[in-house]
Amino acid sequence: MKVSYNELHGLCRKAFQAMGFEDGDAGDAADMVAWMQLYELEGLAALNRGLRFLLEDTDERPPEIVYADGDLAVLDSHGHSVLKSSSLALELGFAKARARGLAVIKIQHCHNRQRIMGYLARLAGRGMNVTAFWRNAQDVDEAVGCPMIEQVVGFRANSSVPEIRVYAVREVPEENEPNDGITLVMANHVDLLPSLRSDYDVDLLACHEESKLLACRQRAMQEGIEVDDELWSRLKALSTRLLVEATEDSRSGAGAGSTDND
Amino acid sequence: MSRKEYGVRLSSTEQRLRLRAPDDVMQLERLGSLHASRLSFVRSLMRQMARQRWRITTTRFELDAHGHGVAIYCLQTPNKRYHGVIFSQALEDAARSDRVIAEAWDVTFGVVEGDVDDALLEQMAANVPLQEAGRQHPRILVLSRANRSLRNFSSFLDALSAGHQPQPEWLTNVGYLYRTTAVYGNGKFGIADYDRLKDNADFHRPFSAQMLAVYLLRHFSIQQIEHMASARAPETAVPLATSLRRYLGIGNSTGLGMAPFLINHPQLVQRWMESRELALAEVTAQVPREQERAQLLALLQRAETHLRQTITDDHEQALRNQETVASLPELRVWLEVVPLGPELWQELIDWSRQQHGLEAQELVNTLLLELYPDIVDRYEDSMAVTEGLELTPDMPLVHLKQVIETHYDWALRFDFTQGENRHWFWYRSVEKEEPRLGERDKEAGADKEMKLAIAPRVADTHAAISQYLEENPQALVVEFLIHCPRHKDIVRRIQTMSSTSFGEIRANLWARDMKPMHLLRTKLSFFGASRFDPKSDRWVRITLFQGAPLVEELNAEPDDLLAFDDWSFPLEPQINREPVMGITETSQQESPQAMGGMS
Amino acid sequence: MDDALLEQMAANVPLQEAGRQHPRLLVLSRANRSLRNFASFLEALSSGQQPDPEWLTRVGYLYRTTAVYGNGKFGIADYDRLKDNADFHRPFSAQMLGVYLLRHFSIQQIEHMARARAPETAAPLATSLKRYLGIGNSTGLGMAPFLINHPQLVQRWVESRELALAEVTAQVPGEQERSRLLALLKRAETHLRQTVTDDHEQTLRNQATVASLPELMTWLELVPLSPELWQELIDWSHQQHGLEAQELVNTLLLELYPSIVDRYEDLMAVEESLELTPDMPLVHLKQVIETHYDWALRVDFSLAENRHWFWYRSVEKEEPRLGVRDTEAGADKEMKLAIAPRDADTHAAISQYLEDHPRALVVEFLIQCPRHKDIVRRIQSMASTSFGEIRANLWARDMKPMHLLRTKLSFFGASRFDPKSDRWVRITLFQGAPLVEELNAEPQDPVAFDDWSFPLAPQIARTVLPEMTADPRQGNTTTVGGMS
Repeated sequence: MKVSYNELHGLCRKAFQAMGFEDGDAGDAADMVAWMQLYELEGLAALNRGLRFLLEDTDERPPEIVYADGDLAVLDSHGHSVLKSSSLALELGFAKARARGLAVIKIQHCHNRQRIMGYLARLAGRGMNVTAFWRNAQDVDEAVGCPMIEQVVGFRANSSVPEIRVYAVREVPEENEPNDGITLVMANHVDLLPSLRSDYDVDLLACHEESKLLACRQRAMQEGIEVDDELWSRLKALSTRLLVEATEDSRSGAGAGSTDND
Repeated sequence: MSRKEYGVRLSSTEQRLRLRAPDDVMQLERLGSLHASRLSFVRSLMRQMARQRWRITTTRFELDAHGHGVAIYCLQTPNKRYHGVIFSQALEDAARSDRVIAEAWDVTFGVVEGDVDDALLEQMAANVPLQEAGRQHPRILVLSRANRSLRNFSSFLDALSAGHQPQPEWLTNVGYLYRTTAVYGNGKFGIADYDRLKDNADFHRPFSAQMLAVYLLRHFSIQQIEHMASARAPETAVPLATSLRRYLGIGNSTGLGMAPFLINHPQLVQRWMESRELALAEVTAQVPREQERAQLLALLQRAETHLRQTITDDHEQALRNQETVASLPELRVWLEVVPLGPELWQELIDWSRQQHGLEAQELVNTLLLELYPDIVDRYEDSMAVTEGLELTPDMPLVHLKQVIETHYDWALRFDFTQGENRHWFWYRSVEKEEPRLGERDKEAGADKEMKLAIAPRVADTHAAISQYLEENPQALVVEFLIHCPRHKDIVRRIQTMSSTSFGEIRANLWARDMKPMHLLRTKLSFFGASRFDPKSDRWVRITLFQGAPLVEELNAEPDDLLAFDDWSFPLEPQINREPVMGITETSQQESPQAMGGMS
Repeated sequence: MDDALLEQMAANVPLQEAGRQHPRLLVLSRANRSLRNFASFLEALSSGQQPDPEWLTRVGYLYRTTAVYGNGKFGIADYDRLKDNADFHRPFSAQMLGVYLLRHFSIQQIEHMARARAPETAAPLATSLKRYLGIGNSTGLGMAPFLINHPQLVQRWVESRELALAEVTAQVPGEQERSRLLALLKRAETHLRQTVTDDHEQTLRNQATVASLPELMTWLELVPLSPELWQELIDWSHQQHGLEAQELVNTLLLELYPSIVDRYEDLMAVEESLELTPDMPLVHLKQVIETHYDWALRVDFSLAENRHWFWYRSVEKEEPRLGVRDTEAGADKEMKLAIAPRDADTHAAISQYLEDHPRALVVEFLIQCPRHKDIVRRIQSMASTSFGEIRANLWARDMKPMHLLRTKLSFFGASRFDPKSDRWVRITLFQGAPLVEELNAEPQDPVAFDDWSFPLAPQIARTVLPEMTADPRQGNTTTVGGMS
């Protein structure tokens, strides 16, 4: 079915609130999912895949600063989804980059890393050049031959859309530890857009350019945003957890009379 | 007539100095005393339509004798074509409810961008009558529904069928044939996002598409009743007199559903209020001449009569109306005899503030805005804003503390441990997510509270910040938030809104003595509502477009745009009530100058 | 000064009010010694030691004046004569000069007496202590009638300060102003810590002010220098701090911009006169009262607590005093200092008259009810100004006369407010001010010369060895209000 952006954002926000997200986090998470869906980057499909994880994640520990100096910080996200835990880590990077010109933030142990893009867009909107880099979390299984995938997302300052590169690295280096983190570079004055080295042996899996993404947005505004009916119902069901049962008291709490005829 | 030659232009500093204090302007009770003004959305829409020569034509009018069927209106603007599609159906009296929880209505309708082909009409016929329960097309800009005023409907039908004009006082009692119960825009139930309208030259102003929908319904209500009268008695039926058509508006019934919008869109509220206050500041600097004095005297007289004719069963509102009316005669004597000093308008406002009730004060402000269209109307284009609350993570935390103490001092004044200051909680019911108020200590659901009350959240965050600063006096905001992430949302709001003056409604929405009615009236006054008629402390009936120019007057391409625009505080028309059969033609001789006409 | 005049003065000046003073006298005054300071200073200096600076922190003078008369009192020159005097046209400037000369005298006198007592050992007073020495003043209710009876002068004084402050808040701060304000805050904080008073309430007020300054200074160190910073500071202070701290912030902001602020010192004088506008429509006057004297109409004067006090002049030297209306005699001879009840009374009379004569003129009303002429004249003259009327009910039981005294004293330049009761206060003038010899040396840097507000107790090497007293003038001058 087709839905509007506001509808999608509103429902996601309520669903996240129902999952126990704080108000601010629920709004941010809804931004991130709806933002990806708006640019046809499959935010909802990813949410669908990660929904069970989110529902089962009852760990309340907030992300914790492991190390920080003037222009570098390492945070441990305790295995939370970036939807829940990344915004303040990014804000910390933003603060450092504003003070120092350039900042590097490493978020360790986080899930659903794709989803971070929506919040990066927000920082870019505030005049920051941002690039995020991560390698896929599925452990590289040499036996199956699954390639190691790297993803780079770069926003130019004040641009609403990023340049995205996703590629497979054929030559996996020797000491390839499992990597469930994400590395961000923010620069106050310098562009950090990804462009692939031509002389390196990679398979480009996806390349989203700014213009292409803007066209997606245009389409979504004209025709609505396609969502999966089943997921929509799941989110609706989740969001009703926020609603209060109707009683006679509560009906009078609305303040209207029983008959409105005049 | 141009007023351009003598408008006093202010420097931005002087304008700022003349602004009223936010602590005064944003008091909930004052906001709940606002009147519709020339910056209200219905007024700006009518001006825009006349200025740009919009045309409204009937493209389909297929109603049976009971008025049931489909009507389609075409709206042609200089930029685009739109269609209003109205479905009218039979409704059991028992099912007629204005609550959002209703499931069927007398009419349902939508405004569509572009043309309506058979496929779209079919899709709409299947879904628009279902409203929230249907799946709406993304080219629909506005979705709405309305119920008949049974009493007016049958008396109007009887009168017109019998060749009489209805009694004007019927419309003074209840100013409409239909009242809407919700007018949806902005992406609800699959219709177009507001984002899509932002670049639309016709409807970029907030709620202007919704107001157009209501205006089309008003036109339909006139056409429908005339159609039904002539269907019932083709021999005797007469059309509705023009003065009565103008005096006929559209009703609206509203409850707490308006409140979350005002709290969740502080940047929009800021724009609306600031535009009004900036315009007022400019107006107060104008040097009045005899012409403005005379015009203000006439407006005061009209508003006084309008308020005398405003009927409500609500005791408190009736008292407020009486109080306002009582303060006007002395004010007019004063205005007649004072010399025209350059600070006269400022004196008037200051005097009113000291001496009169809030509704009278805001009435004076509203009428002053009427005097200077060239100054005021420019602000109708500053009513929209791209919203976004943003964090400033690198702000020193002690700076944030200062910002809270300086700009949210009103929120820190309450003691939230007192029962009376934490009496209510806001929640959404499972019944169509209707917002409701519950008593914290008596009713279930406080665990699912909607966080509409900003004041307690600010106070809570302020306390947490003060505590954190004791150990970390030089900390940054982001460091505090990493430590206590649950404050992120409110910190973001504070940081964004503190650079503005008029975004936050300065009230504790938990307080026992908080009056939700004031929240409703705040928004309704910006819509352009008149005839406030509270049905309880959280439910109100109002009238939109009463006195507004008719579709045929618009289509006639009026030359005098100022006169066309002069329809505030409409008065009951004088009608020759002699129902002599043979001369029904003359019964339409109305006195149009009584209809809010001034010039 | 010829001998004849000196002789006339010697015969009359010591009699003060009881004498008949010469019309060339501009100022007439008298002072009493601080017995304790006088004795200890004399003791110390005679024995070649410097007095303990703490003595001056506790009582900042050797002499305190009890009255400084100007403006034609007891035969001396009228203020009118000074209006065109290029030296003393500013209000009270001749009086202040009188006090400054007394301060110089008090230093010369004590040094003279020490030398006379012990020519061998006596040391002159260290410069830093000379600067830290002011002149005391004791004042009671006598200040109050002036403030009420000269609304146009009060208007000028307060308006000038407010206009200057408004200009200052519009300045965009630079790092230089930030660090100067930080230094001033620090100095004022120390000054207030050093301010000693037995009055409980004033002590609490000083403590509250001192307590609010550290956070304010941290804030000032960290915030970015935005164009609205001073306004933010004032607004914040208004919401969060006590009244004395708020006004301290304003006062220190004024210090930052001498070139803006000092221009207003020439606006402090005014030609006073209250005039009637007889042809004003009476409904207009009613509006004017309701708009500009709303504060007076808010009080319910039928309540006992709102008509508690009355003001009168005692037969004893015409001293103004306060009496309790229902228990003390003299209410029939009340001085009409309380403006609010008079406004309310006149407003009621006007409202009643308007009921029958909605279009009457002011003069018609006054012919009918002439007793309102005086207050109508005042209202009509003052309504076009903002800062002339003190917005208080001077009858009210909880009215604090001390505030009236402080209002006037703060414009004089008093520091070290030390209330001795709720209607009697000791203060110090010229503490920290440059000395006569510094003035005579024609200072090069007028800004530094001028920087002596909120003076601090000087640090003095107190273990004075006799051979080191040879040049006791080497006091630590930079700690006395020195900033640069």
